[in-house]
Amino acid sequence: MTHPYVRLLDQVTRVGGVRGVMLVVADDGLVVAESLMEGIRGGAVAALAASLTRRLAMVTKTSAVGELGFLQLQAEEGTLAIVPAPAGVLVVAVGGSDMNVGLARLEMLRVAEVVR
Amino acid sequence: MAREIQAMADLFERDPGSLVFLELGEELRRTGRLESAVRVALTGLEWHPSLAEAHDLYARILVDIGDLDRARAVWLQVLERHPRHVGALKGLGFLSFWDGDIDTALDRLETALGADPTDHTVVQALMTVRAAVETSAAHAEPAAADPVFGGFEGADDGMLLVSDRGRVLGGRLRGPDGDDVSEAAAAYLSGAAHEAERTARMLGLGAWHWMVAEAVEGNVHVSSPDPDTLLLVVRDRSVPAGRLAVVAERAGHAARSWLGDGHP
Amino acid sequence: MRRTRAVEAWTIEPLNRFVVESGARFTLLMTPAGQVLAQHGFTRAVDVMASAALGAAIFSSTGEIARMLGEREFRALNHQGRQYGVFLGALDTDRGKLLVLVVYGSDSSLGLVQLFFDDLAEQLVVAAPVPEVRRGPILAADFERELNESLASLFGR
Repeated sequence: MTHPYVRLLDQVTRVGGVRGVMLVVADDGLVVAESLMEGIRGGAVAALAASLTRRLAMVTKTSAVGELGFLQLQAEEGTLAIVPAPAGVLVVAVGGSDMNVGLARLEMLRVAEVVR
Repeated sequence: MAREIQAMADLFERDPGSLVFLELGEELRRTGRLESAVRVALTGLEWHPSLAEAHDLYARILVDIGDLDRARAVWLQVLERHPRHVGALKGLGFLSFWDGDIDTALDRLETALGADPTDHTVVQALMTVRAAVETSAAHAEPAAADPVFGGFEGADDGMLLVSDRGRVLGGRLRGPDGDDVSEAAAAYLSGAAHEAERTARMLGLGAWHWMVAEAVEGNVHVSSPDPDTLLLVVRDRSVPAGRLAVVAERAGHAARSWLGDGHP
Repeated sequence: MRRTRAVEAWTIEPLNRFVVESGARFTLLMTPAGQVLAQHGFTRAVDVMASAALGAAIFSSTGEIARMLGEREFRALNHQGRQYGVFLGALDTDRGKLLVLVVYGSDSSLGLVQLFFDDLAEQLVVAAPVPEVRRGPILAADFERELNESLASLFGR
């Protein structure tokens, strides 16, 4: 049986350019649920996304702009997008450089609302 | 704590070659028993003459005694053998700060931060030194136009050019009360950029270009104008992420021009 | 600065890389019998010996639970505290089975430790030498000498 969270994540994977989406425990960097294309290392994405979020949260905190709501890392060949959900969970999406980040962000925020 | 010190002292007496002297010496120093701390440190050094931590302990005790010259000499010896020893770098940074040699103090502490970015005592020491620099500069002269971003809107609040070792090169960032928070943000920025580089590399995304973070009260854009510097641009939520990217691109161009003129 | 020290030199490079990438505070590489091959972060010999003995004991006792459950063994364990976590992982090399005990703080995470533990295991498998066959019984005196030599290597004495 498909985990209900995976059906939720499929809303994000349908966005153009998205190659994988997952729910990650923010403190541990471990996967709760994932919907990934073949070849994507879910464990690595989860651990690194959680670590990056922690580091950026220190920057936003010291920059006096408050709690982090959305993070995008843009690289030469791809994009990593992260939305911290209220329950200590991160919604993480990884995609190519063609990823529709605006739409992915909206769907990720919807997922974050549900998993709160 | 007294019981723990006694237990360590007993262990040390039974086995003077054991490494318990490091903790025992440190506890004696912290509790102000400096003569005993010196005896323990020197005995430890007889058994472990090449152990950097033992020399570091001895130098810290010398500082508490007030013998700063000998402490400096001991730490310099440690650095000769271990150029990235955090304890020695921190100690020498402290001594330089004490002497009023702020540049050397910053240099030592930034090297220490590079050696161990997770050491919060180094971050704290850096922030203390930098805050002292800001305070003295504010009293000494009126604010001059920013050398990097002069003429840019928000150059004095919301733009920061930082070395990859976390040192502010230009721009300024202010908190909600108007306090200067540039140094604190700069200290954490290099760790975040390192993490971005590693994440992109390990996930097969290629070289990282930039990061944007949307927060409750503002948006933050991080990029790397050249391989040795980082650029942080902060704007309130009224500036959307796309517009922020344009501002960051222009600021990056200004930073590259300034760096190209031979500035550090 | 905390340093990595090793009794067996082939372990240093993989272990150094692991410590830098994972952000581990303390790391011990040892045999299931508690013999330490390398360490990072410890300054006291007594802590190394106690941690190695306890790590080996934890691995051994959970191995018994695994067998009761019909598992061959557990490959990794994690204990999470408020400030620190302790990770214990096992890997098979030509040098025999090895255990890695990792203590990490809030600036790292279990996910990061697991991720780089997998890399560490791969690198150690590649680097591990085939051990020479020891002839004859180990004398108590030899054991004492080897222990002292190991401690000397681990603490640079």
